[in-house]
Amino acid sequence: MISSAYYHLPVVDEFRYITDEPINLAGVLAKAHRPGAGAVVLFSGETRDNSQGKAVDYLEYEAHPTMAAKMIYNILQEAIERWGLHFAIAQHRTGQVHISESAVVVVTGAPHRSEAYAANRFIIDKIKHEVPIWKCEHFTDGTKQWSEGCLHEHTAE
Amino acid sequence: MKVFLYAILRDYFDHEVWIQEPVRTVDELKEKLLLRNESAREILDNCRYAVNDEFIDHSYIFQSHDIVSILPPASGG
Repeated sequence: MISSAYYHLPVVDEFRYITDEPINLAGVLAKAHRPGAGAVVLFSGETRDNSQGKAVDYLEYEAHPTMAAKMIYNILQEAIERWGLHFAIAQHRTGQVHISESAVVVVTGAPHRSEAYAANRFIIDKIKHEVPIWKCEHFTDGTKQWSEGCLHEHTAE
Repeated sequence: MKVFLYAILRDYFDHEVWIQEPVRTVDELKEKLLLRNESAREILDNCRYAVNDEFIDHSYIFQSHDIVSILPPASGG
């Protein structure tokens, strides 16, 4: 049973879900501590130097910013209620994201690790599959490839 | 009617397209766009459509002031 005291607290309202500036992982994590949360999980999705056997130069992300922000907010709220989180936040980049830079961060805080891990996984999967954010891979050979994304009847992993 | 297109669709159309003729449904809108670039057919079939930031289905009837977004399958992260 989830205590109603946590329902409206955890999502930080001033947080920008979609940003064209570098994600500050340490800064996000610094906001994620709550007295009742014994487990904090941070996932950072970062640009890999290769894809489909080709060397990646950088990734470029485009979003429908207002829809994406609203959907991320709703996904976070759903996770908070389902797992009784004390804290949940997600932020996704737009624009160019270079090798080893963070394209997306998800932080979850819960009393115990199983809820924090499960909720974090739920949030990142749902963001990848449903939120209108698109990835274009730019390779070192000068070619580019828009990710084909996940059609609704498929569940890509 | 103002239509915004995203991501891979911008390789086929401008980001912002103005449709002069009245269109009532998603299918009619698709046909108008295909007149401009027929090669986008498969992508348009796989897109989600939204009006004023809410998803719509194929039964939706457009109003003249609707702002339409055409969203290719998502693939963030």
